[in-house]
Amino acid sequence: MKNRLKIAVYSGDIPSTTFIERLIEGLSGSPHDIYIFGFVKRRVSYPSNVSVFGYKNIRIYKAITLLKYSLLLKLFKSKDKAKLDKILKNKSKNLLLEKLKSYPVLWHKPDVFHIQWAKGLSEWIWLKEFGVKIVLSLRGAHINYSPIADEQLAAMYREHFPKVDGFHAVSEAIAQEAEKYGADSHKIKVVYSGLDITSNTKETRLKNDVFHIISVGRPHWKKGYTYALDMCDILKEQGLKFKYTIIGGAGDIELAYQIKDLDLSAQVTLLGNLPFSKVEAQMKASDLLVLPSVEEGIANVVLEAMALQTLVLTTDCGGMGEVIADGENGFIVPIRQTKLLAEKVIEAASLTSEAYKNLTDQALKTVKARHNEAQMVTNMLKLYEQI
Amino acid sequence: MHQNKGHKLTIGLVLSTVPKYSETFFRNKIKGLQANGFEVILFVDYATAHDDDFLCDCVVAPNFGKSKLTSISYSIASLFKSLFKHPKRSYKLFKLDKQDGLSFNKCFRNLIVNEFLLTRDLDWLHFGFGMLSVNRENIAKAIGAKMAVSFRGFDLYLSPLKHQACYKYLFQKAVKYHVLSNEMKTDLTAYHISEKQIEVIPPAIDVNVFQTDKKQSINDNVIQLVTVARLHWKKGLEYTLEALQLLKEKGVKFHYTIIGDGSEYERLIFAAYQLGLKDHVTFKGKLPQIEVKHCLEQSDIYLQYSIQEGFCNAVLEAQAMGLMTIVSNAEGLSENVLDGQTGWVVPKRQPRVLAEKIEAVIQMNQNEKQAIRTFAISRVREEFNLKKQNTAFVKFYED
Repeated sequence: MKNRLKIAVYSGDIPSTTFIERLIEGLSGSPHDIYIFGFVKRRVSYPSNVSVFGYKNIRIYKAITLLKYSLLLKLFKSKDKAKLDKILKNKSKNLLLEKLKSYPVLWHKPDVFHIQWAKGLSEWIWLKEFGVKIVLSLRGAHINYSPIADEQLAAMYREHFPKVDGFHAVSEAIAQEAEKYGADSHKIKVVYSGLDITSNTKETRLKNDVFHIISVGRPHWKKGYTYALDMCDILKEQGLKFKYTIIGGAGDIELAYQIKDLDLSAQVTLLGNLPFSKVEAQMKASDLLVLPSVEEGIANVVLEAMALQTLVLTTDCGGMGEVIADGENGFIVPIRQTKLLAEKVIEAASLTSEAYKNLTDQALKTVKARHNEAQMVTNMLKLYEQI
Repeated sequence: MHQNKGHKLTIGLVLSTVPKYSETFFRNKIKGLQANGFEVILFVDYATAHDDDFLCDCVVAPNFGKSKLTSISYSIASLFKSLFKHPKRSYKLFKLDKQDGLSFNKCFRNLIVNEFLLTRDLDWLHFGFGMLSVNRENIAKAIGAKMAVSFRGFDLYLSPLKHQACYKYLFQKAVKYHVLSNEMKTDLTAYHISEKQIEVIPPAIDVNVFQTDKKQSINDNVIQLVTVARLHWKKGLEYTLEALQLLKEKGVKFHYTIIGDGSEYERLIFAAYQLGLKDHVTFKGKLPQIEVKHCLEQSDIYLQYSIQEGFCNAVLEAQAMGLMTIVSNAEGLSENVLDGQTGWVVPKRQPRVLAEKIEAVIQMNQNEKQAIRTFAISRVREEFNLKKQNTAFVKFYED
């Protein structure tokens, strides 16, 4: 393979989620050219070796983009265009939109096209016909539960996974899950997501009279907040003095009703979305971060809490068991086990400052060793270069 | 107001859309009122395809939300009608809203979007759900009608969590309330509503459809469990699945069928998968009434482990079909099922307790089960039939 590659990172949206943007930023420090395609939600400024070939959701803008690439392809790559048109015609429901998305990619023809969300794989499998290598990220719901609920999606995975050149798995657990749909284990590389770890951590456990518990994340069922609230019911019954805050939980009726039903309004607060700096401050001011999820890849919020030296209690879902070892760098319990969650909180609340510090020191070591940003970028580049 | 004896009472019923064929409650209610000499006019916010051949006269609100252009043109038309077709009513509505302390803009908006509710002469204006009366608290008074509001569960317990203080104005008005259970009545009085204003009329089912000659007995090999419910979190299906995992661990052989569709399918099928129950659970989707009945006939135990429930017709249907019925203690359910007499009521959010109850019911002897079954069937037939409900609604309006 060439020394200088053209690597496309595709999530559909520009800008994308925090961790994908973090990946793009990291890759921009490499000698390769980074291309981003897709729908431009707002302007983002990237380093000079990152090129954006997107379209805005304005009719005239889309028409100009389509016209431009149609002309370029017609004039200089007419055979390729005819070949792609034929493929798109056979499968597409909205041909113009498909062309708008596909033409820029065909024109710039990257060496590697890295698809972030597995559900979109079938849209891009045509790239194989033009010699473009496909890398697919294996992330969260797209692998863990969507194909269980959706037979058609599972069939699509089984059909196309064997054609993918390389997989990026966010955890060992998700790699195993993807193998069920025909992903070749030799083509899967586990690359843990990385953080930019600063030394902005706290020294020891906070001396709160009331034990402060926090969770962070949108109120989606997979986050398992209903289990955390049932856990609070047990904690209250056992007489623990505690406060529980869910950042991102505000406005969810299911959670609001459960709090009312269990008479937990004095203990539990649902907050709306907060800017990252405030989330960080809240995490630092808490004694324990709880991740009660039933499904995750590897939850970034746990890595962030570990980096800040806030103790973590997580369920053993997805790849969480690859991060937390129970009693070594945090606590971990089986999924959907309210009583066990409550027992661990009580254990955490009774830790001495020394024991607390030992756990969080270990947690910091773990993320420094296995979840730093530089390592993530190096490993991703290895994956691109190997295929 | 027409109150003289012998006058045919006119009821304006406000709903979101015209009830579909499967939405039996409102259809039955309308038929029952008509049979008792009432005139019923239906007011709906949205038109649907099957409106034309509906049982009664329908008045449909203009669709303001279609586009900016339609919004402006409909607004002008509504305003024009307000001013020239019923100026007195419009003025009164505006004045009453103003007295409530609403801003000029809000009063103006209320007048325009609710103009269609001012068009008829009514004795009663009855809002079919609590939320439908919001921003319409003064309409009945403006047109010289009495006001009634039905609360059905979601609107009393959950809507106020999303729309803070949404019933602030409603609860200050002279309204007659219809609720489904005594529990709901108690909860409504907590908003300082006088008991006299609240009438409990429980739901009813067609006992001629939901009846069976079959002598039910628990299947010997694989116990058939069933729930008929929308796939919504308030139905507590995730807790139910957790209880079934415990049953499975104990070696009980069962199959669980869930009839209904909804937004939580992914959540539930994933729960079933994680709990190792995927082969023990079938999601049937929504079924027509006759197939629901058929499914109940094939089942032994009916589960309704809801988190929030006004009353629940499906539980009545299960009892009428002679199933062993186990429900949670959510709101109206403990009035729907009499614990230990027509079925069993267990505390909600406690899968372990539910699992123990299911196991205990399976192990009961046939005589005990038969006693429960007989009483459940006769109670539903006597207490929750359509005729009784119709009589109650006639009384509701005539009193």
